Parts: sequence; structure tokens; C-alpha cells
Amino acid sequence: MQITGMYWGSKLLKYVDFPTSEVLGPEATNDEIKGLIERHGEVFIKPMFKGGVGKKGKAGLLGRAKDLSTAMQEKARLYFAEHFHNNTYSKAEGVTFEGGVPAEYEVYFSITDSTEFRAPMITLTHHGGMDIEELPPEKIARIPFDPLTGLKGFVISNALRKLDAPKELVSPLVQNLPKLWDLFHNYGMTTLELNPIRMTRNGKGRLVPIACDFKCAFDGDDANVARLGLPEDLDTSSYSDFEQEVNQLRTYQGQSDVFVINEEGSITAMTFGGGANALVTELLGDAATISSDFGGNPPYEKMHDISRIVYKYWLEQSNVLFIIGGKANNTDIYETFRAMADALRDHFNAHGPQPLYVVVGRGGPNLIRGMGYMQDTLDSLGIPYQMFGFDSAMSEVVNYAQAADEWMKNGGREIVAQKMGIS
Amino acid sequence: MHPQGVAAFPHYYVGINSLQELATKEDRVCVLNITGGESRTVTPVSHVYSGGNIVCGTAPGRSGSKMKTAGGDIPVYDNVAEAVEAGHEFNVVVVYLPPSGVRDGVIEAIRVNPNLKKIVILTEKVPVRDARVIRAMGQMRGIDIFGANCLGLADAHNHVRIGGALGGSAPEESLLPGSVAIYSNSGNFTTTIAVYLATAGWGSTVSFSSGKDVYIHYAAPEWTHAFHQDDRSKAAVMYIEPGGYYEHDLKFEKPVVACVVGRWKAKLTKACGHAGAIAGSGDNAMAKEEWFMEKFGVDAIFTPDNPVCSAKGAVVVNIAHIPAAMDAVMALNGAKPDFEPVGDLSLKCWFSNTQGIDLPAHLNPPVVEAMAPYNEQIAGLGEQVGAIFPRQTMKDASGASMMDPKTQVTRIHGTSVLDASTHTFEENLVQSLIREYPDANGAAMANVALNAFVNQADHIGLAAADASREAGNSPNTALAAAIAMMGPNKVETSQKAAVAMMELFKKSGIEDPADTSTDISAQVAAADADLFSSDSGCSRGKTMLAALEARGAKSVFVEFVKAVADKAGGQVRGQVVLAAITLHLAWKPLMRKRLSATTISTMPWHFRVFSTLIGSAASSKQQKEGKFCGVADDELMESWSFTETAHLALLGHRPDDESLYAFSVLLGLIISNGPGTISAQGAKGAVAADGPEAPARVQVNKGYIGFLTHTGYAHGGNGYEAIAFLLDRFRDTGLQDPGTDNHGLDLAAMATEYAKEYLAYKKKAKAEGNLSYDKIPCTGHPVFKGEDVNFDPREVFVADLFEKRGDYNVFHAFYKELVQALFKTGVTRNVFCVNVDAVIAVLLLKMLWKPHAAGEIDDATMESAAFTTFLFGRMIGSAAEIDDHTNRGRNMDTRTPASQCSYVG
Repeated sequence: MQITGMYWGSKLLKYVDFPTSEVLGPEATNDEIKGLIERHGEVFIKPMFKGGVGKKGKAGLLGRAKDLSTAMQEKARLYFAEHFHNNTYSKAEGVTFEGGVPAEYEVYFSITDSTEFRAPMITLTHHGGMDIEELPPEKIARIPFDPLTGLKGFVISNALRKLDAPKELVSPLVQNLPKLWDLFHNYGMTTLELNPIRMTRNGKGRLVPIACDFKCAFDGDDANVARLGLPEDLDTSSYSDFEQEVNQLRTYQGQSDVFVINEEGSITAMTFGGGANALVTELLGDAATISSDFGGNPPYEKMHDISRIVYKYWLEQSNVLFIIGGKANNTDIYETFRAMADALRDHFNAHGPQPLYVVVGRGGPNLIRGMGYMQDTLDSLGIPYQMFGFDSAMSEVVNYAQAADEWMKNGGREIVAQKMGIS
Repeated sequence: MHPQGVAAFPHYYVGINSLQELATKEDRVCVLNITGGESRTVTPVSHVYSGGNIVCGTAPGRSGSKMKTAGGDIPVYDNVAEAVEAGHEFNVVVVYLPPSGVRDGVIEAIRVNPNLKKIVILTEKVPVRDARVIRAMGQMRGIDIFGANCLGLADAHNHVRIGGALGGSAPEESLLPGSVAIYSNSGNFTTTIAVYLATAGWGSTVSFSSGKDVYIHYAAPEWTHAFHQDDRSKAAVMYIEPGGYYEHDLKFEKPVVACVVGRWKAKLTKACGHAGAIAGSGDNAMAKEEWFMEKFGVDAIFTPDNPVCSAKGAVVVNIAHIPAAMDAVMALNGAKPDFEPVGDLSLKCWFSNTQGIDLPAHLNPPVVEAMAPYNEQIAGLGEQVGAIFPRQTMKDASGASMMDPKTQVTRIHGTSVLDASTHTFEENLVQSLIREYPDANGAAMANVALNAFVNQADHIGLAAADASREAGNSPNTALAAAIAMMGPNKVETSQKAAVAMMELFKKSGIEDPADTSTDISAQVAAADADLFSSDSGCSRGKTMLAALEARGAKSVFVEFVKAVADKAGGQVRGQVVLAAITLHLAWKPLMRKRLSATTISTMPWHFRVFSTLIGSAASSKQQKEGKFCGVADDELMESWSFTETAHLALLGHRPDDESLYAFSVLLGLIISNGPGTISAQGAKGAVAADGPEAPARVQVNKGYIGFLTHTGYAHGGNGYEAIAFLLDRFRDTGLQDPGTDNHGLDLAAMATEYAKEYLAYKKKAKAEGNLSYDKIPCTGHPVFKGEDVNFDPREVFVADLFEKRGDYNVFHAFYKELVQALFKTGVTRNVFCVNVDAVIAVLLLKMLWKPHAAGEIDDATMESAAFTTFLFGRMIGSAAEIDDHTNRGRNMDTRTPASQCSYVG
């Protein structure tokens, strides 16, 4: 799950008392917006997208108003704004109104885990407010630190010294930035980014950091995320109904990672193992309905549930049900095949038979028992199939599944339907 | 903050200097959560493979127990501290704890065991937060950590595997000693790559599954250093997925084949599967391909068609290309494979069933013998004939029928009753048991078999049926009496013959039993002649054979029984010919494992019941030896379809084409209404009570009695309501032929007149407070309603069938006028549908009208005929349920738990 924007960002930052800009949500009344403009001189109007959406500013999806009428015009413009970035289409659902913050400096700050240092790492620069990747390396400090001691003031101080940052920045940042480690580490985040943090002067003339934009990504495997009490549908936009339904089965034994590749696809691949998932998804391309990884020795019940959901969403449109994996190390083939076969039988029982071609490539413990069970099921359902040994190149089996799909597309589906007695 | 390890890594601790140290004979292991689901199967194999390297394990609450393995027992303790106190020494901890327990388990192990040098974490989905801490703890104490979410380490030379299940349940099969080190982000592919390499003759030194979490604790840089230090490892395969910069700065001193996959992931904005693959950043698959290409000095991906490589290495994007790439790279280094290739990677089809579809050659690869030991296991499966259905509670469930709640159309073995209605009675009877329709040859044989046993003259069953009828019972009750006499002893010969033939021919490879050119000499020689022939003359057997001959029907099984009888100098018995015919009909689906051996055994019994039920519908007055309802038995066998015979039994004459078609449609339409219908419940209950888990004990005829006793005046007999209604409308019209539209009747006026009459009746009844006033039968439907004009799609289907044939039915036409008139006169708020029950009534009435009008049959006979027709049709669906429940059900599975029953005082 990812969150962008200050509507939720300001709420999260309050957990650790990090100062934020003043934010109103889409429900704000005219009087509230007017008050916000009066207090801050101007407001920024930003569309609210579910999940992480980047490059909104560059796409012109940022409004600025110094009076209520302009603010309302911008609200109307941006409320259902559409945005296409990184191959993903998003549609806004509301806007935020954020009080303007005058600033002398704009700071970029993030905490993430570095695969280079294999430790948590901060990225800091006082040349913020822009895309960090456009800055030369010497203007950015990337400093790993020890997670056992956490992010301490001295790490920030050293980083700022390395950047030769203005001295007046040091104290307010050393005081405030370490707070973010608590938010990052204790609430299951994998990335936390504030950009910009606008350094503004308080009544006493001292600089104070004000977070003006917020991004974070959460670790789906960390139960601490739940402590934030975020609404469950905060980032549902990026998951299809199918993905959400499978995700509910996410338990530690057995992968259940899926996502939709092509809603019009004609090969549904039940893939076992991350490697097989990568290979098969790549080779199938747009013919695939979904990309999946069901490896990790899922127990019968879980595999049956997963299969039931997959069939429910994808079988009707599929020409080929493709069960594919390498030579399993510990996934019990009998258990997983029994579950898939039983679920297929149940599906046919509930929805009636449909023309289908089944292609299997698999190896592992209890292989022949599993294939034998699948064979009996497919035979009793009257479905044509081929099952390949694990000593067949997986890519060749993928090619075979594609050939079967082509045949089905070119009249084979009708032939199979006729043979199965489907009118 | 960390102890100094391998000097090449000044900024963090690494303890392993050479891959030789990764998994050694000296390593001693403690497994955390040793009794967990995954460890329970994996750990014993590892222990045996590695010569007993696991000294202890932990499982809270199980202290004092032992894990039994073929390599000796492994003691289990509550926690690591207890294991250490008990004197166990180990330098490796393998973690199978659930994700929430991993961090604390690791911390405890580090805290209590100062000798710990390696931790292997198998657990998936360890939170990143915990991984940060685990990493830091390992660094602080100078411990190498592997994983998490990995499958551990294996060394084929040392014959040791630590942690996960590399090589699966038979590590020796995949971990063949050789010269290639394997590093893989994918656990499964670690083994798969080893298998693939062997096809080119390359064995492995170490296989290492790194895991693919954000934190890969033991990653490519330190592995590469150790690879360089390992003299045994001459080359490496690295299987790399997107995400992370672990490989960015690698510098290789030995040849490497890098397999980089996951280009497609760049299209996505969210990570899937292998965490860290956040697309769009500089660590996607394409970027990684370039990193490696630069290291190897190549400008393209290696493929068999474009084998681009250097002495330093090659980049592939398909693991199947790894063996060829390794060959090419090592050839440039002057190195040869470690051993002769083991197998190859060509497509090897182990199981195939085209279901009789004529597939193009490229989709129909030959089934090849699998490698050992799989070939023996497959051969073991081959011993099994037919399907074995999993047994389950079949209460209210069926593997034979289902009703689509939307269309209200029931399917029987996947065929809707609408389509079934276009098939003949005998075809539907066969389909109910073999799950598909017979071809013309099969149908001809079925007609011989069914007609051969239809004459019930002198049978006690017929006497029982007659007695029952005379006692005033309904047709179902009378027929049940006849069926009760068709017990197991009556069909024993057929059943034994069918099973014996199945056993004799199961490995014959016969695909088409109609091909009589097949050499059956071996089966004839092996046959027990007593089972198939008798000394005494059996006229029925002879007549059946003659009838088959007359119909031109061909069957290898009929040839077989003839040959066996000839050889023994005996006669073929009718019961044996029946067995040959039923086996013939079932053979193809049996070989395709759509049918079970149980069905082969019981099918002759079902056939005998079919014949008995039809035969007993005619009274003993109509039957005498050799003649059934006036038609000679041999004529029936030679030239009558069983549909015609059923019509004969019911109405006493052979139908013309139009009547025959209408009769077939009628029987097809009433086959089934799904497993919930009362008749099916009766049949299923009868099977359940016999205990289908011992299928030989199930009395097939009793299943039909269950069906018959679960029909009655309200279920099956109620079709007569509509007939009675129509009789009242048409009784005095002088209608002669309901099959012509030249009847001279004004149907619209008749309908309107009745509608007005009914409206007045309804108003009066309501005014009197009588809400249970008579409803007009067969109009309206609880599902097909609510539109301005409503249709029952089943009625529409049948109407279309007859319209296309040009067959007219005045009663059907009247019903269509009636629903319009009811709307126009305000009886109904919209135009109701004419439902499918009306179709059944109008078809029946049309068949019976002429004899009724001629005074040949009275109203009571008409009612009885309508009910019996229902029983004929429903027998088809009941056959399917009885056979299905026998194959799938559990003993007494139709009962309702007492907790779900209620007492009504």
C-alpha cells in the first residue's frame, strides 16, 4: 500500500509531532477554505489519488488560489482529474486544500532501505522541492545508519555538514527529522519521503520545518501497519477485485501473489515459484489473463480457495488452463494438484462445463500421484490435456500452451465444446 | 560496529570466504520450529542426505519429543537455550518459524549460542522491519545470515544441504557433483537450473537460493567473492530478478552465465512476488541485463539462434538457454562438461488425452516414457482401469445432473434436457450411464440389448406388477413391484462376464471396439469359457446375435464371446451378449477414464431394469412367450428402436414418424430436474442406505425402486392436471386430429370464453374468502415472469423444434391463445408464459387424443398413461443419479443430522 499527499500524510506525521502544512479535505466548507486562505495568504489545491501517483505537478494537476472563487474553480477542475503515469491510469476522488507555507529553503528527505548498504538509509538535501534524481550527486547526502540505534541527530548533522548546508538549517532539522524514524520503523513503512519540507520562520524568527508533501509505502507483511488504523480501502484503487480477493488469503505458508495482466487474455496460468512466474509471464505476454505465484507449499484448503477464485474470475474466457512450475523442492504436487482439480470440478458443477484445454508442466514431491489425480479429474470432465515432465524445458511447455491457445482460437474451442457435449 | 570478517568486505561482516565453506560436512544444525508443517517433510530428507548433520530442533511445548528420521532421531526442545543447556553444540541455525516469530527466534539463538556462525531463514514474508534488525544483529555478532525467504544451501560435492529443500525429496536426483556454482533469487529455479545444467553434462558445486526479500542478507557480492575462492567452481550460473542493486558492482574472475528475467515487471507500478521489484527504477530487468552484458563484454542476449557470448560469460533471459550458454562460454575457456548429458530438455509428454479430438500433429506429441523412477510410478497408475471418483457426501449433490437456476434447464452429464430431447430414448438411456451419446453402431446394439429382455411373459415380476395394478396401485407402485424381482442373482452372469472382459481387454490398446479386425486371439485363449458360454441351448443369445447381424452392428466384444463359445463348443448366453454390448458402449469413455470399473460391472443390471420397467408397463394380457404386445421378440430385436418399443408398451402400437419424434422429445424433456427433485432423492437415498463405499453391495434395482416410490400423484402424476384441463376444453369440440391446423376451431374465442369464465370464478372465490381457488395449470412460472410478455425458454425451444418439422399441435396453440386471453380479460397483469409442463401435457394429449376420442381408452387409462410416460423419461435421469451416487457417495450420506431436524408438535 502506498499513500501520497498531505491529507493522510498530515495525519500520519502528527503521530510523531512532525510539523505539517494546514490541510483541509474535500469535505471542507467555503468558510473553512476562506479561513485557510486568510491565515496563509494562499492555498494549493491538489487532486487526491488513491495509492502512489507521481509527477502530478508536472502534469499541471496542481491548483493555486488566493481567493475563494479561484479555489472553487480549481476544485471543480481537479476533483475528478485523470492522470497517466508509469503505465498506470488514475482518477482523482476529491481534492485537498493546503495552506501556503512561505519558505527560505526547501528540503528533500527520505528514509528507505538500501540494497547497496543493506541498512536503512536517509537521503537528504536542502536543494529540495524538485525531482531528486535531477540533482548532481554531491548535492545529495545518502547515509546508512544502524537500525538498532535508529536515526539519531548526529546522522542528520553529519549529512548536513557533508552537504555544506546553511548552519541555520542544522538545528531545526536535527531536532525534527529523527522523529520520522519512529514513524518509518514502528509503523511498517518501507519508504517515507517528504518533499518538500519548507523551512519557514516562526514567530521568534527561527526556522521550522513544515512538511508540504508526503509519500510513503507500507510493508504488506508488517502487522504494525494496522496500528495506524488507516481505512482499508485507502489504496484499493490499484487492486482489481480479483487481486483483492486473492490477497485476503495471504498467509505466511504459500505465496499467493497475483495480478491482472490482460483482462482480455485467453491463457490462465497457475504458476508455481517466483522464477516460473517471471519466465511464464514474460513469455505469455498479453495472452495471459493473470500473473501468479502460488508456490511455497500451500496447504490443500488454501490452494483450493485460490483456484476457486482464479476460476471464478478467469476460466470462462480462457482457452487454456496452464499449470506450470519447475521441479518443486517442497511444494507437495499431490496436494496442490488435488486442490486445483477439485476446484475445477466444483467450478464445472456450479457453472456448467466449458470448453477448455489444460496444459501442465511440473515436477516435485508426489508428482505422479498429483498428475494421476489431475488426469482422472480431467478425464471425467472430458477436458483434453497434455502434461509434461519437469525435464521438458519450461519455455517449450509455454510455447506449447500458446500453440494450444492459438488452436482453440481458430475453431478448436468449438470442437472441444462439441466433444464435451456443450451446446 | 562489526567484527572483521573477510577482508574484501571492510564495510560489513562476511564470514564465508569460499563457497567450500558454505555447506560443509562439519556444520552442525539446530532447526527452529522443527515440527512445523514444512520442516516436518524437509528436515528428515536433509538429515539423511547430509549424513546426520542436524543435532537438535526446537518446538515450543514439545520438549522431550523426537523427530524420527531414517538417519536417526532428532531431539526436540522447547527453545534454543534448553538445547544448549542439554549439551548440544551447533554452529548453524535453520529457521522455520512463522514470520512474526523469526526476529525473536534469531535473537534468542544469537544470545544463547556464542558458537553460532550461520543462520538460514526459510520463512517467507518476514517484515522488512524485522529484517533490518536481524541483519544488524548478525553484523554485530559476526554471523552470516542466509535468506530470508530462501531455500537454503547445498553442496553436491560435500553431499550436504542445509535449510530448505533444494533438490526436493530426492536431492541426489538434481544435485550432481560438477563444476558450476549456482546462485538463484528463485528457490525453485535453484533446483530447476541444476536439472537443466545436467542435460548438458554440467554438475554443480554449491547451489544457493538467496531469497528475494528487500534484504538479501547473503547476496551476490559476497557469494561472488566466495565463488572466486572456491577451486572446485569453474563457472557459475546466476539467476537474477529485478529489484535491488546487489549485482551492480560485481566483478567476475571466472565465467558466468547470468539469467535475467522479469522485463514485464517494468510495466507494473507495484511489486509482485519478489519484493523489491519496484518497477521504473534503475534496477529493473532491462537495466540488469545491461549490467551483466557490460561485465561480459557482449552486446546481445544469448539465444540458441544468436549465441552471443564471451569467455567471460553470457546473458540469457530464458532458463532453458542456460545449458547451451554454459557450453558456449566454457568452450571459449577450453573446458568440457563434467559428465555425459543426463536427459535433454525437449518436450516430454508424460500424460495426454485428446478426448478423441483430432488435433494437429504439433498439439499431439507422443507420450514418452518418463525417466526413472517416474516411469514405474506411471506404470502403477496404468494398472488402474477407468476413473476413480473421490468419495464425498452426495446429499443434495450430483455428479450427473445440475439445474441452472437462471434458465431452469437441467443438464444431465453436461447435456441440457432440451438437447437431450432431440435424442432417442435409447440414446438417452445409454448416455445416462456412459456420459456421452452412442454412435449409430452403438445405438443399434443398445436396441438389441434393451429389446431382448423387454418381454416379461411368465416373469414373476410381471405377475407382481399386475397384482399391484389390480390392487389399485398407481403405475409407479406397480412397476416397483416388478423391479424388485430384478435382483442381483438375475444379472450375476452378465456382471461377471462384463468384468472379466474388461480385465482381459484392459491392456489390449483397443481404441475402437467396433473395429472387428483386431486380433483377439490372446484374449480368447486366456478366457474362462465357463463365464461366457453354456452347454445348454440359449435361444435368446442366438437371437441377439442374429439381430446384431441383421442390424449390421459390429463389436470386437461380441466377436470375442462368439469365439470363446465356439472354442468351448457351447452356446453364447443372452446375458453374456448383453455384457458384451454394455462393455462395447462403455469402452471409449472407460479408456478415457470418464467411467469407473464399477459402472462396467453394474451397467448390464441397469439395462435389465430398463427393459423390465418398460416391459412391465404392459399387462400380462399383452405378453406371451415370444411376443410382446403382438410383436415377435426377434422382430423387436432386429428392427425396432427401444423408443418404439416403449411406445408400443404404453399405447399398444408402433408410432408413426411424427408420433415417434414427439414421444422422444417428451421423454427427453422429463429426464431430470436436478438432484433436488424428489425422484432423484429417492434413488440417491436408496443407494446411500446400501453403502456405496462397498459398491458391489449396492442393489441397483433398489435404487430404481427408490426413484419409483418417490414419485406419485403429486410428482409425476400431476402432469394429468393439464391434460384433464385440456380435455374439458376440447371434449365437446368434435376435434378429430390434433395434428392439423385445419381443425375448424376458433382457438382465440375458446380461450377468451374460458378466460372470462375463469375471471368470474376467481372473483367469486376471492369474494368468498377462498384464496386456494383452482389455478390454471401450466401457465406462469416463478422465474420467467415480470415482463410484458413472458416466455419459458424451454417451451420456446420445443415449439421451435416442432415448427421446424412442420408438426402442429392444437393443444399447444390453444395454450398460447389462453395466456393472451387471460391477460386481455384482466385475469393476469401481463402475458404469462406457457411453461414446460404444458408442453409435456400437450404432447401427451396429442398422442392419446385419437384413441380417447374413439373411446378406446377412458380418462383413467389416460391418466395412467401420462404418469407412466413420466416414469419412462424420469428413469433416464434416475439411472444417472443411481450410477453417480454409487460411484461417488459415502455410506448413508443422504441423512440429515438430528440437529437440523425439527419437531413439530
